[in-house]
Amino acid sequence: MIYPLSKCLVSGLIFCCLYLFVAPANAEETAKSVATVEEKGPQWQQTLKAAKGQSVYFYAWGGSKAVNEYLRWATREIAQQYRIKLIHVKVTDPSEPVSRLKAENGRTSAIDLMWVNGENFAYLKQQGFLLGNLWLTIPNTASLAVARLPITIDFGEPMDGFEVPWGIGQFNLIAENEVFQQSKVSATSLLTIAKNNPQTITYPKPPEFHGSTFLKQLLVNLTDADPRLYQPATAQAQLLPVLWQYLDQLHPYLWQQGKAFPSSAAEQLLLYQQKNLSMAVSFNPNQWLKEKDTQQISESSVRRYFTDGAITNSHNLAIPKSAPSPDAAKVVINFMLSEKAQHKKFTGVWGDPPVITSLFDEKATMPAHPELHSSWHVIIEDAWQQRYGG
Amino acid sequence: MAATIRRIGLASGWLLVSLVSLMPILGIVVGLWPPEHITFADIGSFLGYQGLYTSVFMTLFSAIFSTLLSLYIAFMVYSQYHLSRRLQSFEKYLAPLLSLPHLAIALGLVFLFSDGSLFFADSGLPRKGLSTLIIAIVIKEVPFFLLIFSAIGRQLPIKYWLLQGKALGYQDYRCWWLLVFPALLKQSRLALLAATAYTLSVVDVSLLVGPNIPELFAVSVYRWQTSFAVGDQALAFWANALLLILLAVSVFILYAHEKLAHAGCKVLATKGSHFYIGIINPVFRAWLPMLGVLTAMMVVVFALWSLGFNLHSDSFDRINSFGLTQFSTRLWQDEWLFFALPLQNSLLIGFFAGMFGVALALLALELQRQKGKYWPDYYWLLAIILPQLSMVLGWQDLHIWSQGGYNIGWVILSHLPFTFAYGYLVLKGPFQSVEPRYEWLAASFGYSSWQSWWQVRFRLLLPAIFTAFAIAFSVSIAQYIPTLMMGAGRVTTITTEAVAIASGNQQDLIALYVLLQSILPFIAFFLAALLARGFRGSMGGVDTKGDTMGEDSVRHY
Repeated sequence: MIYPLSKCLVSGLIFCCLYLFVAPANAEETAKSVATVEEKGPQWQQTLKAAKGQSVYFYAWGGSKAVNEYLRWATREIAQQYRIKLIHVKVTDPSEPVSRLKAENGRTSAIDLMWVNGENFAYLKQQGFLLGNLWLTIPNTASLAVARLPITIDFGEPMDGFEVPWGIGQFNLIAENEVFQQSKVSATSLLTIAKNNPQTITYPKPPEFHGSTFLKQLLVNLTDADPRLYQPATAQAQLLPVLWQYLDQLHPYLWQQGKAFPSSAAEQLLLYQQKNLSMAVSFNPNQWLKEKDTQQISESSVRRYFTDGAITNSHNLAIPKSAPSPDAAKVVINFMLSEKAQHKKFTGVWGDPPVITSLFDEKATMPAHPELHSSWHVIIEDAWQQRYGG
Repeated sequence: MAATIRRIGLASGWLLVSLVSLMPILGIVVGLWPPEHITFADIGSFLGYQGLYTSVFMTLFSAIFSTLLSLYIAFMVYSQYHLSRRLQSFEKYLAPLLSLPHLAIALGLVFLFSDGSLFFADSGLPRKGLSTLIIAIVIKEVPFFLLIFSAIGRQLPIKYWLLQGKALGYQDYRCWWLLVFPALLKQSRLALLAATAYTLSVVDVSLLVGPNIPELFAVSVYRWQTSFAVGDQALAFWANALLLILLAVSVFILYAHEKLAHAGCKVLATKGSHFYIGIINPVFRAWLPMLGVLTAMMVVVFALWSLGFNLHSDSFDRINSFGLTQFSTRLWQDEWLFFALPLQNSLLIGFFAGMFGVALALLALELQRQKGKYWPDYYWLLAIILPQLSMVLGWQDLHIWSQGGYNIGWVILSHLPFTFAYGYLVLKGPFQSVEPRYEWLAASFGYSSWQSWWQVRFRLLLPAIFTAFAIAFSVSIAQYIPTLMMGAGRVTTITTEAVAIASGNQQDLIALYVLLQSILPFIAFFLAALLARGFRGSMGGVDTKGDTMGEDSVRHY
């Protein structure tokens, strides 16, 4: 098959983009692998000693049974190995710890460790609320698969040692096989599916981030991955009208004719479980398998992703600058990056792909597509709200 | 000397009461203090937000409409139990109806009635829409109003009013509307305010069943407030300002409604015009039993889920033919280790916050009685009326600034303004209508004012106090934001767990925590109803036999 020239150019460009944020990280990494403390070294032994007997309050989303169970397992392991008490503070929204850090404004924090990415990370980093140099002071960061995965930049914001990747998110659809017969989805095929199966397709209402990512995937597909999408957004770019034209066609066939949307990906998955919908959305490439294992979704469910590849990002761990037990928090991060913990995370109930080189497995992930420049995020959400939100 | 002690006592009483009642104001001032970068220019972008006007209108409408609808339904239901001699007293049935949290009712409704649901798939109830939201709110508020009516009714000479009305030749239901309704309406003003404020600012229920094109205003406010983009913070500030205005507007509407209703009753009474409302009575006679069945169905659905029953799983047909063999208590056993401590924390916090809240409410009422002047209602209810998120953010700032550490005491303190406000709301009506003759009588027997207060007023108020405690307790159990923000994860309650889990998609776990969350309030309401039967209010048991409430009291005295 002969690809049109523009597509070749585009793929080349994407490759360049990917290379752009992999290459410097690589260089950084080589520099760092010298600097990163060693597991056996005196500095790390000092950290381990200081951490012993401390408690780590870990602020993390508490809505997923799989994640909660994984953290219960980690709590037991960490208690046994390091005599550290890990406490999962279940939050409903990742913004809760951010609002606390803002209120604390540098005073001793109630948070030792937090699960963070995207705009929350950007805000915290910019405000100077996060402990730096994590990559230099935590031994297992040396095994991060920075050469294979886009895990040094978080939604356009370089991590710079203020957070450590923990797992990988890849945007995918969990769908009924009968309705989504082809293994990849394009904007055109989705419209056909929606027309043939009215009322069973929908997406979470933006600015919920699954919903926004769904729009981004459509935009990438409709513009043949226009290179401008990976640069700061400009008003002159005029890339969005094609998306709105498409959505104008799609919305009448959506669930509730597009007059209501699920509030979250979790709610959409519930509707899917109850057979109200023929698709749900997920950032966990293996969630479909895990949900099938526990009989939460039907046996005929399959995973689908967009033809351009799944938009890929990482979810990360960070320590507030004012955390009361930073040493213990580092030990916890180090454990989370260990082969044992990463293996369990992937093969256990959660199914989240590993981020370390030794466990890197192409089969664990889907073909990746880079995140759009973060400025597009805001523009898409605002424009969607203006057109469809009111 | 005695006078000095008395003065000191009074002063410290006022101090305590003012401290608790000022906490909401303090919180909102600190929490809403405008950051430097907010300007009036931002109002433009706020007012230009797509769908703002529809959203604000829908929010205001749903708050006022669902409150008034609940009020009238509850009043009709209440009348059935007064006018009919066959019906037993209803208080004991309320416990289960009151104990399911709002979110559980919304969840239950969705799973029983909307598309692809368990029982009534074609009920026409939208999965997301204003009607579904209003129905969920009404289901929850009617029993609440009934409980309030019951507490007020025990102190009002309703039976005499009805007798007098009958003597003048009016039918039962006309007496009821023209004589009883105005009095009850006036005394339940606080409950109306609380219900309206709740619906105006509720986020979780709106997210689940509310319309979202455009979304309800409280959801937008929450979204902006929890986002840290500069633009959103400015939007959040002005949105909170508008929310305060909306609250003021609804206070005004409720007062206007009360005035109109009074005027309407007066006109109807003087004109002697006839209205036939008696025809629809059976609906309201059946209301509580119907609601009972509905609640039971919800509980059964939740229980089935938590036992691993899944209507939509592929193996469902197999289960049927195998005789439900797949039921298992595994989840309950697994989770037991993890929910025991939160359950215990909830119980402790609820008990102390509830007790102190009710005690302070009584203190506030007594101090005002002695002064002979009652402060405006909305002042005492500020904790319920003001936007909770901003208020609690303010407390969090102060708490962090005080470096006071994190423990259960702070959580109890943060629940206190809410339990106080609800305690005050329940007790005010009954407190003001206690028959003064009893206290005069006590004084004539030589009781000191303190003795007479304790032995007469307090005892007469006991049924209302039990009710107030049960409500305050369940309000404390339901608090999520204050518990999380003041407890900082050191104090987990059944609600912090339940709310976190409800943000996911695990049906069985959500169901289990919904049930757990309902158990404590259920016990509290049940005990309160049981205990209240042992005591009479000023007017509870003076009538002849044949009256249901009278029977209860006569039996115990």
